[in-house]
Amino acid sequence: MLTFFVVLLHASFMVEWFAVQDALPSLYDELTKVSDYGKFIGFPFKALGLFALLILFLLAATSHDYWLVFLTPSVWKGLHMALYVAYGLIVMHVALGVMQNDRNPFIPAMLASGFAIVTLLHLVVGWRERVRDRAGARGSEGWLAVGPPLSIPDKGARIVTPPDGERIAVFRDGTQIGALSNLCAHQNGPIGEGRIIDGCVTCPWHGYQYRLEDGCAPPPFTEKLVTYRVRIAHGVVEVDPRPLLPGTPAAIRYE
Amino acid sequence: MIVLLALVLYAAAGIAIAAAFLVFGVTRVLPEPAPVTLGARIMLFPGAAALWPYVLIRWLKSFR
Repeated sequence: MLTFFVVLLHASFMVEWFAVQDALPSLYDELTKVSDYGKFIGFPFKALGLFALLILFLLAATSHDYWLVFLTPSVWKGLHMALYVAYGLIVMHVALGVMQNDRNPFIPAMLASGFAIVTLLHLVVGWRERVRDRAGARGSEGWLAVGPPLSIPDKGARIVTPPDGERIAVFRDGTQIGALSNLCAHQNGPIGEGRIIDGCVTCPWHGYQYRLEDGCAPPPFTEKLVTYRVRIAHGVVEVDPRPLLPGTPAAIRYE
Repeated sequence: MIVLLALVLYAAAGIAIAAAFLVFGVTRVLPEPAPVTLGARIMLFPGAAALWPYVLIRWLKSFR
């Protein structure tokens, strides 16, 4: 929301600059001259900023948990992925704006290298996550092996990936072990990267909490996570990848 | 100019429908009943105005 107001302030300053010079019609002409949209140098870069502003307005206007429920989490998250589109539009808005008058080759070179670095980083991380997803260890009878109990950090989790479905976060709180969906009920944050605080699994994104024993948020909150059965077989913690209903008690204690 | 006119009409419809929705329908469309305070309704206004076609469809469906 703050980003939207900053961008809105910038846009209002720009419009005021044109208005003070009685040049608003030329601004309108610049935005509506279709032939210019085929150019690189001379592209109406202000239009890119305007589209970014509209996207940020939509995101700011739906930044409330009411919309998360109204739109459903998956639709809401898809909508808010448009932030990346706005990000790209703003980068090009700035770059093309500068390049209207400054023909220094360093600027397009920096733009291209920045794009290449961000793309490369996304590909590297995506590949690493893909390898991690495929490396799930198999236990017995279709259960997934997590590791010895003490391999799970106390108050923390190890994350395992079933052949189908979302990742599972296996937490240990002292001698209690429980397995929950890795996706927070709030905005699908990675629960497994969180810690157990005040006796509850705590999402690292916004602090939503869930009891380890049944995946329920402590009263008066009502969120519930899918839970999974866990067992210890031959000294190894195993989790059944078949999900239980949200809020089903499934945690165990070991000696 | 046509685009500008369409935007103005969209915004006008959005303001009207959002105002009506936030007064009469904001709690009706929730899967579970929950109170929505006046401050929250004011905060929801821009989103309801921007998404008024979908808001209207969900509001009408809630009467079935």
